[in-house]
Amino acid sequence: MPIHEKSLIRPENLHVQENKEVDGVDVSGHWSTFIETRVVKDYNEDLQAEIEALPGGDYIHRCWQCGSCTNACTVHALNPDFNPRYWIYLIRMGMESELLRDKDIIWQCVSCNKCTYACPRDVVPEAVMKATAHWLELKGHTPKSHSTIFDEVFSEQVIETGKIEDGRVVRRFFKRTGQKFPPSWMITMVKNLFSNLPVGMLTRMGLANFIKPRTSGWSNARDAIREYVAEQETHHRQALGLDDLVKAAQKEL
Amino acid sequence: MSDKKAKYQEVAYYPGCALEGGGHAYNRSTKALGKKLGLKLKEVDNWNCCGAMEVKNIDPKLQTYLSSRVMSIAANKMGMDTVMAPCNGCYHNLKKAEYDLANDPKSVDVVDKISKKAGHDTYQAGQVETIHALDWIKEAIGEDGLKERVRNSLKDVKIANYYGCMYTRPRHIFPEKDQGPGSESTSKPHFMDDLLEAAGAQNVDFPLKTACCGGAHTLSDSDTSTRLVANILQAAEAAGAEVIATECPTCHSGLEMHQIRAAEKLGLQSNVKIIYFTQLLGLALGMKPKAVGLHENISDSFAYVKEKGLA
Repeated sequence: MPIHEKSLIRPENLHVQENKEVDGVDVSGHWSTFIETRVVKDYNEDLQAEIEALPGGDYIHRCWQCGSCTNACTVHALNPDFNPRYWIYLIRMGMESELLRDKDIIWQCVSCNKCTYACPRDVVPEAVMKATAHWLELKGHTPKSHSTIFDEVFSEQVIETGKIEDGRVVRRFFKRTGQKFPPSWMITMVKNLFSNLPVGMLTRMGLANFIKPRTSGWSNARDAIREYVAEQETHHRQALGLDDLVKAAQKEL
Repeated sequence: MSDKKAKYQEVAYYPGCALEGGGHAYNRSTKALGKKLGLKLKEVDNWNCCGAMEVKNIDPKLQTYLSSRVMSIAANKMGMDTVMAPCNGCYHNLKKAEYDLANDPKSVDVVDKISKKAGHDTYQAGQVETIHALDWIKEAIGEDGLKERVRNSLKDVKIANYYGCMYTRPRHIFPEKDQGPGSESTSKPHFMDDLLEAAGAQNVDFPLKTACCGGAHTLSDSDTSTRLVANILQAAEAAGAEVIATECPTCHSGLEMHQIRAAEKLGLQSNVKIIYFTQLLGLALGMKPKAVGLHENISDSFAYVKEKGLA
């Protein structure tokens, strides 16, 4: 399947003349397309290094742009603008401003790993998508996506107790993202479920709200994990120069 | 008795969080099936979450640690050599941790450091073998073993077998797959097809066996998930299936939830029933619907099961 590829030519710079005649010859239509030139000046030479420093970005340098990832991509099939190959290209070229044009959709990767399966160079494009989405958030280009908030709510609970309970994660997620809970389809779902459920099961589900499922003797693991996470966060802040960014912003104010 | 057959008669059982929550039907039916077939399950002592799809997005090495702790307990505390995880997410994560700990020294360092502080033995690659519930039934009982035990044949049940993403991708973490005849295929998995066919079912030719249900964004980008699930449901119905057999709690609840949502948001009604393969096998072996947790599914298949003479 050919990919209708995205290129560096911006759609607004393409000019097609519906009716055009030159020296009595009809040159109307697509084949006489005129492309307005533009010059790209603002490269971020550290872009690849920054993304490589974040978890998942490790192997971005291996990419040789075959496009297998985009061809296999689940989300690309729904939205042709979702294009891992193109974004990896931009990152490796340091074309930050081009990358930012797609900043609102990069987080939509569903982690199906079809790209990772197809990639002949073991770039792990799925992980690169996550690293890129985190980079956008850390640099302040986008607010935290719902996906990131969900990951955080989930991970916080795992780190805290060693286990999760679906209901608590879901409620916390809806609260933190400011969405109405429960949505209408969830009510239908729960109604369907309750039509068959015996009382014992209902009680058990209700109790899970008060008695958090947990792994016993977890506190040492929890502390060790928190220590590791804090170390990593410091490391990422340094790699992305976030402290300098904050200082520069404070000076301007 | 082959090596694997003997080895899988008694395995460490790692249900994982989903099977204690929304996927309880899978937990109930897996345990009941094991009991019926005379296979022993020893639940991993004091297990923890494997990290699911979420922790790896915060830090992949953290997920490797979480998964390694489960394997460490199975190997070092319980003395087991096989861990069976019915959930695709758990199965995938344990396999991935195994791969990383065998191949990535940085992951080994992080896991060792956290394990020491947490006060348990560091898991060493190769101590246990992680298998899926499909491997477990397929090797320990096999198609012939199932055929002997079937009481209610699934003869009129038309099934689309849905495996999802995490069971086969990425290929490199499943070194035992794609090894020729008898092994599982990563492009066209068939273990579930084989088992259900042995129980009498008619498997339809289903092209979306390993398509994605959007499980990772089931709540954070619900519209995308709904579109992906609607594809799967429609393809299954177009292929002539009455049932989608599942082997992952996230896929299963995703399909159930977005079946409702697809009807509500996209106006796409579908009647295909969503049932765990363990429930179908249990019914074929003559177990009652409630014994395999059919009442714990959201997709109501009581009437269907009765109509097919399975209840």
